[in-house]
Formats: sequence, structure tokens, C-alpha cells
Amino acid sequence: MNGSARRLLGIALMAACWTGVSAGSDPPAPSAPVAQGLRVVSMNPSLTRMLIALDAQQVLVGVDEYSADHESAVAALPRVGGLFNPSLEAVVALEPDLVVVVPSVQQRDFRARLRELGVEVMELASITFDQLLTSMQTLGDRIGRSQAARERVAAIRSTWVDVAREASLQPRRSAVLIVQRDPLYVVGGESYLNAMLDAAGLDNVAAEYQEAYPRVSLEWLIAAGPQVIIDSSADPVNAVEHWSRWVSIPAVAEGRVVAVPQGLVTLPGPYLDRSLLTMVAAIRSADRASGTGGGAKLQ
Amino acid sequence: MKILTPMRALGSLSVLGAVLLVALILGLTAGPSGLGVGEILSVLGDRDATGPAADIVLRVRLPRVLLGALVGACLAVSGVLFQAMLRNPLADPYVLGVSGGAALGGILVLSLGSAIGLGYEAVPPAAFAGCLITTAVLYAIAGANARVSTTSLLLTGVVFNAFASAAIVFLASMAGLTEGASIFLWLIGSLSSIRTEVTGWVAMFLVLGLGSTFPLARSLNLSALGGESAEQLGVDIDRQRRVVLIASSLMVGAAVSVAGMIGFVGLIIPHLLRLILGPDHRLLIPASAFGGAAFLVVCDAIARTILDGRELPVGAITALAGGPLFLWLLRRYHQRVFS
Repeated sequence: MNGSARRLLGIALMAACWTGVSAGSDPPAPSAPVAQGLRVVSMNPSLTRMLIALDAQQVLVGVDEYSADHESAVAALPRVGGLFNPSLEAVVALEPDLVVVVPSVQQRDFRARLRELGVEVMELASITFDQLLTSMQTLGDRIGRSQAARERVAAIRSTWVDVAREASLQPRRSAVLIVQRDPLYVVGGESYLNAMLDAAGLDNVAAEYQEAYPRVSLEWLIAAGPQVIIDSSADPVNAVEHWSRWVSIPAVAEGRVVAVPQGLVTLPGPYLDRSLLTMVAAIRSADRASGTGGGAKLQ
Repeated sequence: MKILTPMRALGSLSVLGAVLLVALILGLTAGPSGLGVGEILSVLGDRDATGPAADIVLRVRLPRVLLGALVGACLAVSGVLFQAMLRNPLADPYVLGVSGGAALGGILVLSLGSAIGLGYEAVPPAAFAGCLITTAVLYAIAGANARVSTTSLLLTGVVFNAFASAAIVFLASMAGLTEGASIFLWLIGSLSSIRTEVTGWVAMFLVLGLGSTFPLARSLNLSALGGESAEQLGVDIDRQRRVVLIASSLMVGAAVSVAGMIGFVGLIIPHLLRLILGPDHRLLIPASAFGGAAFLVVCDAIARTILDGRELPVGAITALAGGPLFLWLLRRYHQRVFS
């Protein structure tokens, strides 16, 4: 597969992590009035969720299809297409002051055309942990929610430190976070989820791969022998049942296969602290169940 | 034209059999986990072996290598048969739209399956159902006037492929991002998602396909003279086309339903072997089975190892290898014809 196809897949898988449930919907009390009369179009569910978390959904005048389908707060807003099929005309018709996007390859021409038409385009990366926090702060600053963004970022960093401190008291274990089973995609070294595993005291066996979501072989996974498998794929077949036939993987043999609904942990949004705590709780649940040879399933 | 003698056929097939054996050994020994040959042999010699090496060799590599060989054989034999039946050197297993039907069936499940609780394991049956429906439609349309016309078959296939492609694009546009990635990979073709249960199923269709079409090899040779001339020589052209259409379609359906749309195997291998062994289908049909099997197993070994643990779809390798090879074949053909 050529480079562009691999990039496409990587981005598609990265975006796949944005699916699922909201990690919370209790925005902070407004710390400052949102920028007056600002009209914003969000082209990405992660950024839409950040705006909602910063209590700035009122500035939104249009959102991407995925945001409209999965975020009730913006369900009634005009839709302007998705990652692969953004509608330039629909966006321009909304007369936005600002369009927020992730710097994806798929929307490169779309962003260029918007700029040619005089629309301000803000590119906010959301692959690494630091990028996510920086993006949230940058977005908050631009829409007049600097304080709310600072508080959210501080809450995430604080939880990160607390969890890492607690995890440091336990021996570290190797782990893999499954994004999709068939074909097999896992979390690689570049993703913010790698930082999440690290904070939870887990060494990501796929950290050697620099891309965020590498496609790997089953053989590689068996040879890597992770002690914990966190399965966040959308496959309807039960994760514990699916992995049970590979008993040579320590995680399976020891009953540390953790099923997490897609998006509950793999959500590059404004509530990474809650995602981290959810993952830690799931692993503890698996630890408790491992004595009985079973895994854990988080609803 | 080289005359086919039993000794020559036996010699050629023995060489191809040896090539396939080497390919199978390569497929079993190649992989990202760095298992040594001794470790592999020890696991192969112990049916009750457990542990990571046993899982990797017996439950990951072996079923994959076997299925790769079967899929490669199905595609290459179908290619030979379609090229002979249609008397068209550009025909490949996907030319008649059977693959389009299979792809549409599989992608329907990939894009909409999760909404109704169907997982990836439902893709092969759905794809095969798509293949059966397409074959029935093809047969009904092309054979409407009691005679199976190759022109009608080709036109129906082209139209159906266009329709299936449009439907697939529509489904892919509507699908979520995760499903979109799966559809993309499935369209390229990959052996990474195989289930061991399907190996016997594909083997059954290969045996049925070979068993029903090999007896037609002599009549396929005569068909090269043209339908009318072949009929004057006693060939029942209609029966031949019906058998080839159904047998090849079932083999293609079986292959596509488990491995997606792996390209070039069914186009390149028949041409390559025709250049080396001559056009006699009594040799070409079994030789294509060996050649297609070996080619796909080697391509899959490359796909599994070239990126150190990461997977490439084998369809990308067959296309990368097949494209230049096909151009070289064309060039050589032209040189031979015009010199």
C-alpha cells in the first residue's frame, strides 16, 4: 500500500476513535462572555465537543455530519459534510467568521479554498496528548473562553499526575489498546492514548510504531505478548470471547482482557481525565476478575 | 506450438509443484516474530504444541498460507478459463461482474452490519451470496436466447461491475470511518482477516471447479479457433460456456468472499504460464492452479514481513508486482508477434 493510502488509513482510524459516547456533558460555569457575534463552523467531532465542554456551543452555526449525529447539543444545526466530503458551499453559505478543523490530508484543498474565500480557518491537531491540550487552549483563547479552557487543561493534567503517581507504586505491565480487530489496528506511539497507557502504568507494546494507529498483524501481537489487552473496537462479538482462542498471550491466559465500548476511552476530546479514570477502573476490574479467569467488560 | 506429451506435462507440473512447495515453506518461515526454522519444525512436528510459537505457526501462519494458496489457485484457474471462454487476453476473474456482486454483498455487511449486530464473520457468506446472485443474473440475461453469447456476457459483466462499483461508492460514502477503512482494505484484498473455518470451503470450490472444467480442456483448445469452427469440430460450445461460467464464478466468489478483491493474480499467472508452457489448456489449467497458489503465497509473505509487524494488504503487493510484470509480458508478446 502506498504512503498516501497508509496516511488515509491512519487518519481514518484516528477518526474512528472519535466515535461513541460523550464522556460527560456538564460544562464549566462560564468564566467570561463568549466572543460577541462570533459564527463558528466545526468540521470535526473532537473540536465540537471541546466547544460544548467550554460552554460555547452558542457560537456554532454549523457542524460536520458526525457531530450532528452524536452530539445532541448540536443536532439541530446545519450539517456541512464530513471528513471525506466537506461541502464548501454549505460552509460558505453559513457566513462563518471561523472554521475549526483538524489538519487532515483529506481536507487540505477544502481549507485552502476557504482561505482563498477570506474565511478564517483554525487548524487544531488532536493526535498527541500535548497537541490536544494545546488545541483546547488555543480554541478557548480564540472564542473568549480562555479561563474555562485553562481549567479543563489543568484538570486533565492534574488527573494525569495523580493516576501516574498511583500507578508508579505498582509494577509496570505491557499492554495493547485495540482500536479495530479486523483488520487489526492498535494504538501506536504517537497517539495521545499512548500517553494514557503510560500514565496508567502500562507499557504500550506498539509504542515502537511512530504512527498513531498502526495496522499490525496478529502474529506480531501474539509475539509481543501483552499482559493486558484493552479492546475498544466496535465489533459486536464479545472481546473476551474473541481473544480467548489465543491463550499464549499472557493477557488472555491471566484473564486481563478489558472490553471498553468504542469511544468511551478512545475519545480525543475535552474529557481525557475521565477517559483515563475509566480505563484505570476497567483494568482494576479485570485485575479483580483475573483470579476467576475471566475478563472485564465496561458498559 | 509446443506439443504436449505426458512426460512434458508431468515435468512441467513437477517443477511448478516444487515452486509451490518452496513458496509454502517461505510462507511458513516468514513473519515478523523472528521464529527460527528449528522452532517452526519442532512446532509442526508436535500437534499438541502450545505457547506463542505454536499459536503463530499452527494457528496464524499455516491457515493463512493454505488459504492464500487456495485463493491464488482459484483466481488463476478462473483467469485461464475466462480468457479461454471469452477468447479475450484481457479477461480476468473479475471481468464478468461476479466479483462486483461478491464485493457488493461483503461491503453491504461491512458498512451496515454493525447496525444490525453482524460482525466481520458475516462478510464471507454475504459476499458469496452476492456472487451467487450475480452468477444467476448473468446466466439469465446472457443466456436469454438459449445460447450463451460471449459478447452478451462481457457487456453484462461490464455493466454489472459499473453498477456494483457505484453502489459500493455509495455505501462507502454513507459508512462510518471505521467501516470506511475496512471497506478500503477489503477492496484492495487481504488475507489478514481469514478464519480457519473457511479454508475447507474454498478448497471444495477449487476441487469442484478443477474437476468440472479440466475435462473441457481439449474443447477449450478448439474454442481458440472461434465458436463456429469449434462447433464444426464437435465442441458443444453452449455447454462448455455454461460449465465454465458457473465453475469459474463459484471459484471467484469463494476467493473474493474470504480475501476481498485481490487483483492481477488471475490476469498475470495465466499469461505468464501461457508464454512459458504454451496455450494447451490440459496443462495450463493445473499449471495455473500451482502458479497462482505459489504467487499469492509469496506475495502474502512479503505483505506480512516488509513492514516489520505491520500489515500490508496482499492486493497491494500483487498489484505492485503484477503491473510491471504485465507490461513486460505485453512488450514481449508484441516483440514475438511483430518480429
